[in-house]
Amino acid sequence: MDPNSGNLISFLQLQSVSAASDAPLAFGSRGDRCRADFARDVARMAAAVASVGRGRWLVDTADRYLAAVGLFALAESGSVAVLPSAGPADPQAAWGADAVGLLAESESSETPLVATALAGSAGAPIESGDRRGRPWVEFRTSGTSGAGQPVVKAVRHLEDEVRILEARLGRGLPATTRIFATAAHRHIYGLLFGVLWPLASGRAFQRDILLHARELLPRLEECAASVLVTTPVHLKRMAESANLEALRGRCLRVFSSGGPLDEAVAHEVADRLGCAPFEIFGSTETGGVAIRCRREGGGANASGEATQEEWEPMPEVLVRVVAPDGRAEVTSPFVSTGERQSDGRTCTVMGDRIEMRPGGRFVLLGRADRVVKIAEKRLSLPEMERTLCGHPFVAEASLLVREIARESRVHAVVALSGAGREEFVREGSRCCRGALVAHLAKRYDRVFLPRAWRFVAALPRDGQDKIPQAALRALFDAPSASDRSSSPRTLGEKRSEEMFERRLDVPADLVHGAGHFPGNPLVPGVVQLDWALRAAGDWLATPLVLIGLKGLKYPEPLVPGGRVTLRLERGVASTAIRFRLFDGERVHLDGRAEFAVDRDLRSGE
Amino acid sequence: MRAQETGEAIVESLEQEIKELIIDVLVLEDVTPGDIEPEAALFVEGLGLDSIDALELAMALEERYGVQIGDDPDQNRKIFASVRDLAAFVGASRV
Repeated sequence: MDPNSGNLISFLQLQSVSAASDAPLAFGSRGDRCRADFARDVARMAAAVASVGRGRWLVDTADRYLAAVGLFALAESGSVAVLPSAGPADPQAAWGADAVGLLAESESSETPLVATALAGSAGAPIESGDRRGRPWVEFRTSGTSGAGQPVVKAVRHLEDEVRILEARLGRGLPATTRIFATAAHRHIYGLLFGVLWPLASGRAFQRDILLHARELLPRLEECAASVLVTTPVHLKRMAESANLEALRGRCLRVFSSGGPLDEAVAHEVADRLGCAPFEIFGSTETGGVAIRCRREGGGANASGEATQEEWEPMPEVLVRVVAPDGRAEVTSPFVSTGERQSDGRTCTVMGDRIEMRPGGRFVLLGRADRVVKIAEKRLSLPEMERTLCGHPFVAEASLLVREIARESRVHAVVALSGAGREEFVREGSRCCRGALVAHLAKRYDRVFLPRAWRFVAALPRDGQDKIPQAALRALFDAPSASDRSSSPRTLGEKRSEEMFERRLDVPADLVHGAGHFPGNPLVPGVVQLDWALRAAGDWLATPLVLIGLKGLKYPEPLVPGGRVTLRLERGVASTAIRFRLFDGERVHLDGRAEFAVDRDLRSGE
Repeated sequence: MRAQETGEAIVESLEQEIKELIIDVLVLEDVTPGDIEPEAALFVEGLGLDSIDALELAMALEERYGVQIGDDPDQNRKIFASVRDLAAFVGASRV
């Protein structure tokens, strides 16, 4: 087939049209396969599927070739191929409740893919007699939690998208080009770019999923013409460790999707490889929405060309911004979830906020719904917070994302319940953390599990009862609470009904100073605040729960190594405590705290 | 006998070093080298590392020891199975 003819054969006729062909279709460590092999394997598999029955079938294989065989065999019988989401402990229970069968890998080289009957009811009706309208592949939205939401793509959604990919991004790629992918085919991007588009355009694809640059590079170097389908996480590592120059003129196109690609990485790849990576923006529900290709020296110009950060909608895709929160509304032939228009296209509103630019282009402004991406998978922070609150140790929880080892990771701040505090006092923070990690691991992919935890009496709140992000972040600038070698020494105390004063000696090697501005250690504000709040508890000799903070200021930075005074005052008729940390004229901390007496802890005493 | 004891000591100190490297590079909180069992699984169970950690750890090992992670995925899975396996790999292949 000539990929430049613009006349892609449709999926379901693929094997009959090319049955006699010995053109390579897939390659890899488990052997190369040609189109005739594919036609034979699909026919054999379709017979096995037919003997079990029509309906939802789970397809569980890490081999892209076998996945393709399974998908086409299922299409023959009008069945739906269900692809697993990553992660949950018992995937089959999570995604296969009413499946009629399972296609899974076997050790046998004769029958590498085996069809097994499951308990689900066979013969589910096909929604539409029209071949293109039949439901074909069911994805799970990437990992938000548990089983994820199913998103079903009809044949036409995937066919149309492949047709547009070839028209927009396939130009000039020889038929001998080999497609390598680090993106897994259980996600729509990996399936389209790594399997379906190569199949339909007559280019061979790699069977194995190789993640490490060291595994991938030698295979790419052997290849005279290749395309790399990857993700920002992998591309960043490749740019750091691989000899990309060796692939100049051989690796003809690089695609990246799943999250924003670091601009410096985009430029470096463009520079060293000689081709700038194409970024694809989209979602499981919408399929591909827009593309961009950033190269050094590119920028806004008078001729109306796209600037570096602008996304260009794919052909036949219409993007608008909608009120009230400025989210992107997408209409295209391959949007599968949303309102069907009279022209057959579907319209849906995404969770991403955008700003329109000339020529239908747009820039991304971030998510509207606290959905973050970790390793290119979507995670809803509010949903994980609700899951955490379902554990008996947790009264309240707030999640945020910070970088650890150069990657975004979830961090958790947890206000413990009465039971949680008992556990914390008896067994320590590690035990609490272990219990909560195990609780989350039942529903979430490992990459989502919080990597750092802070346990507090109450979540910090400002005057509007909002949880200030800065206060949460500050908790992680200090080492975790299990570190007891970090307290200042008390030199002396004065107390009365209205006032409490504590003289503190702040050691020069205070642990909190470590890593907080190298070479220029400062005591983080949240640590100073912690000293004040502890002193309040000591003064009033009762367990206190912080209700709110007001007028919090850090006028002068506090350098470890010196003496300071902490003074607390309270009005006769007030529940608020004014606190100040100072050294002569220099005030380091100033603010007011509202407390309530902790009845849980009191009754537990 | 003596040579064997020296060999064991080297393996142990290498295991200790790799534990420290893992904690350091992956910024594991509240984990000390003593918490990591040399034969326990590094990924999913055991220490509970994930796919992002795998990439980062591979790079750190290459940087620190000058070892080359090979191109065979099955082999790599074995190398990264536990601290003991990593130490054996580093011990055998570093210059």
